[in-house]
Amino acid sequence: MKRSTLLLLLASVIIAGLGKAFWPTAPSTHAGYAGLGEQASGFAQAGPGHTLAFPEDHGPHPDYRIEWWYLTANLESADGRPFGVQWTLFRQALAPETGDNHATGDAPWQDRQLWMAHAAVSTPEGHRFAEKFARGMALPAGQGQAGVTAAPFSAWIDDWSLTAESVGSGFDRLAVRAEADDFAYRLALIAQGPLVRHGEGGFSQKSADGQGSMYYSQPFYRVEGTLRLDGEPIAVTGRAWLDREWSSQLLGATQRGWDWFSLHLAGGAKLMAFRLRGGGEGDEGAYLSGSWITPQGEVTALDEESLRLTPVETRDVAGRELPTTWRVEVPARGLAVTVSAIHADQWMGTSFPYWEGMVTVQGSHTGEGYLEMTGY
Amino acid sequence: MTTNATHAGLLHTTWGTLSSHYRRHPGQLAMLLLGLWVASALWSGVQAINASARDSYARAESLFSAQLDSVVRRDNQPLSLDAYLTLRRAGMPVSPLVEGEMTIDDGTHLRVIGIDPLTLPGESSLARQQSDAAALRDWILPPHRARIAPEQVEAARDDSRLPPLETDPSLPPGTLITDIGVAQQLLGVDTLSRLVVAPGQSLDLPPSLVRQSAAALASPGQLTDSFHLNLTAMGLLALIVGLFIVHAALGLALEQRLGMLRTLRALGVPGRTLVIALALELLAIGLLGAVLGIVSGVGLARLLLPDVAASLDALYDTDVASHLALPWYYWLGGLAVTLGGLFSAGLGMLWRAARLDILALGKAQAWRARLHRQLRLQALAGAVLLAVAAWLGWRLGNRPNPQELALGFAMVAALLLGASLWLPPLLAGGLGQLSRQLRSRPRLQWALADLQLQLPRLQLPMMALLLALSANLGVGSMVGGFRLTFLDWLDQRLLADMYVRPTEAQHADVIAWLENRDEVRVILEARHAEAPRLDAEGQATGQPLALFGITPAAVMQRNWPLLETATGRMAAWQALSAGNGIFINEQLAHRDGLAPGDTLYLRGPQGPVTLAIVAVYPDYGNPSGEAVLSASYLAERFTASPGSLGVVLRPDATRDVADLQAALGERFGLSGDAAVDQRAVKRTATEVFERTFAITQALNVLTLAVAGLALLTTLLAQAGARRAQLAPLWALGVSRQQLIGLQFGQLVSAATGTALLAIPLGLGLAWALVAVINVAAFGWRLPLHIFPDQIAMTLLLAMLVAALAALLPTWRLWRVPPRQLLQEFSAA
Repeated sequence: MKRSTLLLLLASVIIAGLGKAFWPTAPSTHAGYAGLGEQASGFAQAGPGHTLAFPEDHGPHPDYRIEWWYLTANLESADGRPFGVQWTLFRQALAPETGDNHATGDAPWQDRQLWMAHAAVSTPEGHRFAEKFARGMALPAGQGQAGVTAAPFSAWIDDWSLTAESVGSGFDRLAVRAEADDFAYRLALIAQGPLVRHGEGGFSQKSADGQGSMYYSQPFYRVEGTLRLDGEPIAVTGRAWLDREWSSQLLGATQRGWDWFSLHLAGGAKLMAFRLRGGGEGDEGAYLSGSWITPQGEVTALDEESLRLTPVETRDVAGRELPTTWRVEVPARGLAVTVSAIHADQWMGTSFPYWEGMVTVQGSHTGEGYLEMTGY
Repeated sequence: MTTNATHAGLLHTTWGTLSSHYRRHPGQLAMLLLGLWVASALWSGVQAINASARDSYARAESLFSAQLDSVVRRDNQPLSLDAYLTLRRAGMPVSPLVEGEMTIDDGTHLRVIGIDPLTLPGESSLARQQSDAAALRDWILPPHRARIAPEQVEAARDDSRLPPLETDPSLPPGTLITDIGVAQQLLGVDTLSRLVVAPGQSLDLPPSLVRQSAAALASPGQLTDSFHLNLTAMGLLALIVGLFIVHAALGLALEQRLGMLRTLRALGVPGRTLVIALALELLAIGLLGAVLGIVSGVGLARLLLPDVAASLDALYDTDVASHLALPWYYWLGGLAVTLGGLFSAGLGMLWRAARLDILALGKAQAWRARLHRQLRLQALAGAVLLAVAAWLGWRLGNRPNPQELALGFAMVAALLLGASLWLPPLLAGGLGQLSRQLRSRPRLQWALADLQLQLPRLQLPMMALLLALSANLGVGSMVGGFRLTFLDWLDQRLLADMYVRPTEAQHADVIAWLENRDEVRVILEARHAEAPRLDAEGQATGQPLALFGITPAAVMQRNWPLLETATGRMAAWQALSAGNGIFINEQLAHRDGLAPGDTLYLRGPQGPVTLAIVAVYPDYGNPSGEAVLSASYLAERFTASPGSLGVVLRPDATRDVADLQAALGERFGLSGDAAVDQRAVKRTATEVFERTFAITQALNVLTLAVAGLALLTTLLAQAGARRAQLAPLWALGVSRQQLIGLQFGQLVSAATGTALLAIPLGLGLAWALVAVINVAAFGWRLPLHIFPDQIAMTLLLAMLVAALAALLPTWRLWRVPPRQLLQEFSAA
């Protein structure tokens, strides 16, 4: 779920690059955070009846409004310093892919898909990030400035890419690379476990009204590769988590943002948990959901009865108060931990800003992971 | 309180008394206003043109000014989408741009720019626009959006091909920006004109592409500065000439009111009150004149602007709005300049009023001594100014550079002012000489002495006439000389009868086909490339140099103009053909201090290339440095792709250009711009040239007219006094015809004297323009041509202006009844 924030980012795509409002502003039709609660007529709707099929679903779903391929990695250098890496590709359809969609001509620029990507490296002391934009192009698969193919799996924008080693390997063996002015990385990912479907067979509900998204993950990557910071190569190893999610209306109309956790716990279990804020006074009406994933990849869905997420301590980040320390509890699994940001400075000052960074886990379990906070 | 009230009352009374003069002499008031009006109208007109053009440049510069670099194909062909995507996929942050011209329904031309807002570097104003999600969606999805300059929005609204329009005042006139896909559709292309990239970004381009830095593309503002400087100088000249009128009118008004002023002072009005009242009067007249002037100046600018816009577009490829856009400071500036001019002209009057000697009686002979002293002072000041001008001319005549353009104008100003100051002493001297010669002819001697008496009054309008005449002559010589040289040069450069621009794929086939045609005598192949300059150590220096490849055929060697060679024309052409020599244009030679015999270091795709400069050639109209090599060598060492083909026909060929055009169209589909008749090219170039100078000529004529007006106002102003002087002669039996003939003769001879001085001054001005101003502003030097017919025309013009100006006062004299002449005689 986490990445829903990022959807917003898609919206930001628009904003992106483009700077200050200068254009006569049209009355906003957006509801919820970054338009993610907007009515989505004409688009396909995510629902409990859908069955996920691979490798097809690794590819894009242009009849849904929003979609992403979202990778986070907790890494360590040879001398034991912690590093984090993010690589995300977002897709947004500006209009439904129906009827007259291609009627405007087959010229390559007449496509309705927008692509946006974020890449970031968190260092023990700081944070570096970059973003890119592209529009879809009506070109044969695999061409164009940005896009995704299902088999062999490849997601790219310019020279940033997340690519499978071979046709049949699906998400099992991937290579990811990105390069920006002040950082670059190339990592090899090898899956140590199966794909994980969240919610009801992959349908992850996002509000009490029933809207939600299709959501699955590959949380079991082993990672090896090289970061390059200020021209200095740093060899790293660690763990990564890949999320896939698509939807046409992610949020309820009154939801404001979310807090999302992906945690690798000692012993091999994983926890995905999120809290969607809004829909009531304060945090009332917040919508909680999550998945407890055993080392073998068996999933148990969590809800507000079985999951507790409590902000413990806030920090001033980029002029906002953000909870960088949390209490996370899953009583049925004996989990009661404190999740804290390695440092507060992991702000993504992209066109649609949010906090995304590496965290440590302490308490009944130890571990590490990623936390994302949007809408603050 | 009481004192203040009394004071205000006194001021009021004084003002009323003083201004009663203008009620009795409305003609003087009209003259004063006329002078102000003309001066301020010409000045405001020129300034309005400049302000509008500058506004257009500012908009043009802000469009690209985030100073995006460009990436284009070395052969200047459009880029494919694949080429763009390949660069993007290699991580290079380039953004595609489509540019072209389209004509909308009402015939307006629009420059269409298509952008991709998602990849456009963020800081440029092209990118700034699509700032929120809804706007981006509107931009990218049908029916899309277009932003257009306010000037064309109305015309464009009716064109159904265009997307919904948004007015954007920051766009240069005639510009429409829309999404890249829409622009491709509007322009009927599926390629990209160029790619843009933020200047700091490093790129690793394949050899077929070349980066052009934003800084290398000189901004239209810089290019056209000298053009506007010329206009401003003309406007200033007009202002000064107009102020002569004002000065004459004010002087007269004061002269005639001296008695009244003395009476007022004698009645106890303090000098300060008098000065304040006079200053208030000046202010009121000034405001009225300035407003009139500015309004007509704007009208004048409206009239001239389409020509200016067309010239600037043709000369520098900059779009200037053909209607006025005037910033607030323009209005204030016009007012300030007019009032400033008025007060500078009125300062003498205020000074004299303040120091008024109540007891002074008419000292009939005092003026002589005063005049002599004044003439000596003028001669001295003029000599100093002329010396300054000569020194500047000597200094700048050798190697002026653009930084010294202002010095060049200072030299011209010193020359004109110095010569004007010398005019009255010279005229006085000349008259003295003449009258000594004419001792035996009393009537003529009297006429000369009388003319000397009028000199203090006439000197200002004569100075104005001098300035106008010499400007006329100087600018005329320059334009005429430029025209001769330019047309000559066009003939030499446009050797071929026809120019063919085949596509790269057709190039070889077209050459083979042309070679087999009977009527074709020789094919002159041209190519273009660009290469970075290196210093002797191999380090890149400054901007890349444009290289132009020509075919050194015999006909080319005979005709191509060269200014300087290292060891003669023959040797220069041999070196060029052999590939070890290079010709550079005058601009490059001038700017970088290069001369034949020097060495030029360039970086070619295969490594450094060292070439000997063997000749310098003239390259009029080109603002930048350029060099010429043989086309085959350029293709080999700089991978220049094929360019245009010049086709020279046999003189005895039975088929002509039109036949060849038709055949090329049929065989290769080449038509329109791809196969042009040389005569059409020459016609276009000549038109551009003529239009540019039409503006200068128009201002010139106006200036001359103003000078005539100055003379007329002076004559009218002194007509009454003159009658009093002429009445005794009439009473002595000189017939009215003779008196009128004498008057005419006096004026025409004064004007002739002025014109005689204007001739050397005009030639000096012409020299300053071609040898200093032009070289500094444009980098090319023109030969100085002297046109005797023009000089004769100047003399005639001077006499004509004087005669015309004398016409009205003479006619009045003719109509004066003898009774009145008698009265004036007795009064005298």
